[in-house]
Amino acid sequence: MGQEGAQKRGSSALPTTTANGGANRRSVLRGGGNRQIHKTLNNIKITILCGLVTILVLRGTIGFGSLSSDNDLENQAIIEETNRILAEIRSDKDPDDPEDIQNQYTISLNDTYTLGAKISNWDEERSLWLSRNQDFPNIVNGKARILLVTGSPPSPCDNAIGDHYLLKSIKNKIDYCRIHGIEIVYNMAHLDKELSGYWAKLPLIRRLMLSHPEVEWIWWMDSDALFTDMVFELPLSKYKDHNLIIHGYPDLLFEQKSWIALNTGSFLFRNCQWSLDLLDDWAPMGPKGPVREEAGKILTANLKGRPAFEADDQSALIYLLITKKEWMSKVFIENSYFLHGYWAGLVDRYEEMMEKYHPGLGDERWPFVTHFVGCKPCGSYGDYPVQRCLSSMERAFNFADNQVLKLYGFRHRGLLSPKIKRIRNETATPLQYVDEFDIRHSAQGTSN
Amino acid sequence: MLDRIIGPRRTRQLNRLLHKGKVTILCLVLTIVVLRGNLGAGKFGTPEQDFKEIRETFYQYRSRRAEPRRVLEELQTTTEQTTSSVTTNSYAEFDINKLFVDEEDDVKKNVNEPYSIGPKISDWDEQRGNWLKQNPNFPNFVNGNKPRVLLVTGSSPKPCENPVGDHYLLKSIKNKIDYCRIHGIEIFYNMALLDAEMAGFWAKLPLIRKLLLSHPEVEFLWWMDSDAMFTDMAFEIPWERYKDRNLVMHGWNEMVYDEKNWIGLNTGSFLLRNCQWSLDLIDVWAPMGPKGKIRDEAGKLLTRELKDRPVFEADDQSAMVWILASQKDRWANKVYLENHYYLHGYWGILVDRYEEMIASYHPGFGDHRWPLVTHFVGCKPCGKFGDYPVERCLKQMDRAFNFGDNQILQMYGFTHKSLASRRVKQTRNDSSNPLEVKDELGLLHPAYKVVKVSSS
Repeated sequence: MGQEGAQKRGSSALPTTTANGGANRRSVLRGGGNRQIHKTLNNIKITILCGLVTILVLRGTIGFGSLSSDNDLENQAIIEETNRILAEIRSDKDPDDPEDIQNQYTISLNDTYTLGAKISNWDEERSLWLSRNQDFPNIVNGKARILLVTGSPPSPCDNAIGDHYLLKSIKNKIDYCRIHGIEIVYNMAHLDKELSGYWAKLPLIRRLMLSHPEVEWIWWMDSDALFTDMVFELPLSKYKDHNLIIHGYPDLLFEQKSWIALNTGSFLFRNCQWSLDLLDDWAPMGPKGPVREEAGKILTANLKGRPAFEADDQSALIYLLITKKEWMSKVFIENSYFLHGYWAGLVDRYEEMMEKYHPGLGDERWPFVTHFVGCKPCGSYGDYPVQRCLSSMERAFNFADNQVLKLYGFRHRGLLSPKIKRIRNETATPLQYVDEFDIRHSAQGTSN
Repeated sequence: MLDRIIGPRRTRQLNRLLHKGKVTILCLVLTIVVLRGNLGAGKFGTPEQDFKEIRETFYQYRSRRAEPRRVLEELQTTTEQTTSSVTTNSYAEFDINKLFVDEEDDVKKNVNEPYSIGPKISDWDEQRGNWLKQNPNFPNFVNGNKPRVLLVTGSSPKPCENPVGDHYLLKSIKNKIDYCRIHGIEIFYNMALLDAEMAGFWAKLPLIRKLLLSHPEVEFLWWMDSDAMFTDMAFEIPWERYKDRNLVMHGWNEMVYDEKNWIGLNTGSFLLRNCQWSLDLIDVWAPMGPKGKIRDEAGKLLTRELKDRPVFEADDQSAMVWILASQKDRWANKVYLENHYYLHGYWGILVDRYEEMIASYHPGFGDHRWPLVTHFVGCKPCGKFGDYPVERCLKQMDRAFNFGDNQILQMYGFTHKSLASRRVKQTRNDSSNPLEVKDELGLLHPAYKVVKVSSS
């Protein structure tokens, strides 16, 4: 009941007026009219007050652009400028390239595409060159000369994380190749307008083979593949009668005709006529435009599990090897170690591997290469959740880096940590550890 | 009801009081909320900060759980982390800094202990000499006169703050890979901070020392900053010139020894021999580096002693100038300040002249006609703010990169369409006799890359 009374009072005016009103009302107010005006005035006051309060609260949370501080403005300006330049850099527009637009012709279905001038005597030419240039032998210290080839597009990735992982990936390759005496070519140029995208490796491999006759093996490796076994060395003696070494499964290739029977993310080509011929036979499905589209349809129709999209180099190679089986005599399908290791089944087991096994095995116990197919960190969207991809790539990188840092007495503080910790105290006689931990000393000892 | 207890008048008074009270409290609450929304209330912060804090606490909580004692527990928690996370497939939405997890705490250093870069070694020349004798397969001189060189560079293990920074780091390392492949030099790309106290520009010191001691087969260590690019692919360092020297830097004798100018030399690109002298030099160089009070005090000393040095903490370059100038008798006879070619070339005076160089000269000079190294000092593409306008820096870095890359591509018959363009075009037709095509600069099979076939 007290509440009812309060309600009656509360509905008419603010407490302030009620406090005074109790005394003043009798003297000031004469009639109902004045009371009405007062009521209206009070209502307006309340409305304005509430309005002000609302605006202030909204400003506190959402804010007004023009009222932000000077420092913020400056930061904003610099960020905007960087973004503008970034967008300009990322766009494929070339200020000095006006003819680009006119040259948009693509190869029609009737034209035949060639990788380059036909060469038929490469083996003789090459051995002649080698005999004349004894200073550039194809075998150094008992090991055949290998050239590792990798690359990425010349423009920045769609997002900054992509470039960061490209950087980590090349560092990883630099480390492996330094330990094993392999040279690296990092390509950032599109040598052939027709063979763009994943096909770009074909003209590149051909070009490098022909320019470097001293190189015995050309090893293509995708930018999203990381070395995870720093000790493992390719058993080249196994391949003395073969010219193409590729990871895959023969039953998937011949019986199931699966589009993932082989993986062209990491493979080796011997520098010889056979390889040039295979590249010539492989290339025709590549030229972008109607040729690649039509080829894609053929491949989807003939290979198991292949989704519908334009022809890619992997499916094309599989199709080539299935239909022209004469190539197979010189192809070695390797699966005794992970020349290409699909990442999903490997990355979660790194701690288990560190506990139970040791580097040098190259297989499922300690994978040679962990290949992040489908992650596509350089693009905007991958086939897998970003968190999973990136944390797995970070783990694989640190897993490999630990093997490199071991010589220097450090390792990472956990597979997701960029920080390192000491595992060996500094000493005044460091050379004892060099003999023990330098991988090159053990690598030299093993015979090929 | 209250009427009966305290009387009607009192009830009315009570009601009025209650009203006033309610409204006062309401206004008070509103005032606090509004003030907090705008100004924040000290440690209570604004609602936005609140939200961030709450989000961060959750992340922290998740990562703190990965603090196990056993390896297998680590495995479980990391799987938990990955499965309980955001499942976006878009890279643009992802904050990379949430990814990193430090599983062990920082080692707390004893503050009273003076800084030491490592235990004192006094017989490194003998140790190394013995090792080289016992390991003939790892000679320190390849092909007779050419010393084995290790090029060392590096960057942070975390992504750059600037979104294009990593792309320029990538181009820079590609550039170095190309030069080193042609010249038979090995590369070590460092992404680890070996010593937390020597962070920033000083990080190279513990790294260099560690590499010298771990690679006795290396004769010269070549430190190169990540913002320096090779622009002369044909130039070979004149190793013979330095056979009696242990440290080669770009600089001028007068500017260092007489003027004590802080930019009298440049430590962005230098050669250091693997010997006892170098270890001693590093021991003398390092003490100004430990961050905090030591570095700040040292900075003040350097600003006082050196000409034109601005006021900031001690950096390795100023420290080197000061050491050489003040201890000239001890060090100068083994230091070579090279200025006949650009072992380090300040980009500001070089980048606009590339077209002129292409028209008038050819690779192989290494000097003002065709610089060996173009060093983008002050650009800081990895950070948020450099000393120069962003656009100038990035565009010029692209030009320098293409200028160097053209020399590589010409080996294979290609060139960039222009110094600003990423696109390439063919310069000669494909030949069916590729081995007869001469590469003009002789970079495919250069003399300094021959392998002396040992008599077997």
